[in-house]
Amino acid sequence: MGDNINLKILLESQGLERCPFPIPTGWYFVDYSDTLKPTEMRNITLFGQEWVLFRTESGKPGMSDPYCPHLGAHMGHGGKVCGEHLRCPFHHWEYDTSGWCKNIPYGKVTPPIVKKQAILRTLPMVEKYGMMWAWYHPLCAEPTFELPYIPEIEDATGYTGSRRGSWTADTCIQEIAENGVDVAHLKFLHGAPGIPPVSATYEGPIMKLDIGQGYIVGTAYGPGLNVMRFNQHGITATMISYTQPITAEKSTMNMSFRHVDYAEGTPELHASKKVIDHMIGAAEGEESAGFESVDFIVWNNKKYRPNPLLCDGDGPVLQFRKWFKQFYSGADAETLAKI
Amino acid sequence: MTAVRVKDRDGSEQTLDAAETTPLMETLRDDGYGIEGTCGGAMSCGTCHVYVSEAWAAKLPPPSEDEKAMLEAISDFAEVRPTSRLSCQILPDIIYDGLEVEIAPQA
Repeated sequence: MGDNINLKILLESQGLERCPFPIPTGWYFVDYSDTLKPTEMRNITLFGQEWVLFRTESGKPGMSDPYCPHLGAHMGHGGKVCGEHLRCPFHHWEYDTSGWCKNIPYGKVTPPIVKKQAILRTLPMVEKYGMMWAWYHPLCAEPTFELPYIPEIEDATGYTGSRRGSWTADTCIQEIAENGVDVAHLKFLHGAPGIPPVSATYEGPIMKLDIGQGYIVGTAYGPGLNVMRFNQHGITATMISYTQPITAEKSTMNMSFRHVDYAEGTPELHASKKVIDHMIGAAEGEESAGFESVDFIVWNNKKYRPNPLLCDGDGPVLQFRKWFKQFYSGADAETLAKI
Repeated sequence: MTAVRVKDRDGSEQTLDAAETTPLMETLRDDGYGIEGTCGGAMSCGTCHVYVSEAWAAKLPPPSEDEKAMLEAISDFAEVRPTSRLSCQILPDIIYDGLEVEIAPQA
């Protein structure tokens, strides 16, 4: 090597991290609605910490920090749903789903802050698509966008499909999502016949992707929801993808696959099922591989390069990163500098 | 040490030596004046309520919003006067030598 070697590119990997990102802000899938009955509660791990997930008697879901603001008891161990409140086992302080303390059964004088604001951290929740969703913001800010209407999963008739799956990857949500714009990997990692053209548009928390001139048309609603419509063989099949940041370095990808409710035995139904097979793994008689068989080996072992060496033919990786950065607005300057 | 004149709930008066860097609540609590100071200075219990003498009340730094809110919260249970303070918020600096307080009734 000559005198003017670029040491930065040779040595940069020594300082790389696998997941330098905080948990991004957004709406995230918590669980399917039918897994939590009124007055039930359980402990779950999401967004890098434990939460108490509960449903009130009237059916409202709540998700709270486990530790009682009073003396720190874990409300998910021995606590109870009482009517519309979560009750701490230790001294029976009670909280509503918004985190307001509604009862201190023995105090004569209510501490002023109890009347002024919620004292227990809870996450805003909505139920949609037969699922519970929670809004995560590192500094407890209110939601800044809404979950969209998705006909394939919300319309009472016209669509069907019960296939769904769940896969856990040892990486963060941004690294998983980046594959959506990295079209070159589709040819080389997945074995697609070519590198499909891609166009992406960005508007606020929404990113729209068109891969292969209408073959896959996808919309991301923040970091936690993607609706991808695959158009092939004259039909459209839909993948609804809702990935959860379990911790900063572990994500669970969840997907529901839906298609038009075609009659049994029709070529359209056959085609719809085949397209869905192809989304997950290699469909029968096809060369290329779905994400299940090939993406994990990369995700589970790679490091994040904040200054990647991209070439002509790569997808809009940097535009994607710039768009995604908005979901880290609650992060400190030192963290932002690394990503 | 700062001399603080204290009028007890039974009307008796004593002068105590208060450490300058310790909130007055702690000295009153530890010296057995019936001050509980349950919340430790977080202004969430109202059990360290005192009446400061008129002459001294104006010399102390004014109460914060949180202190005012706590004083208001106890007003349903005890008499709160314009010179009412939470003694956890009073640091008996030497400039307050001779400070006069009266222990308020329990809420």
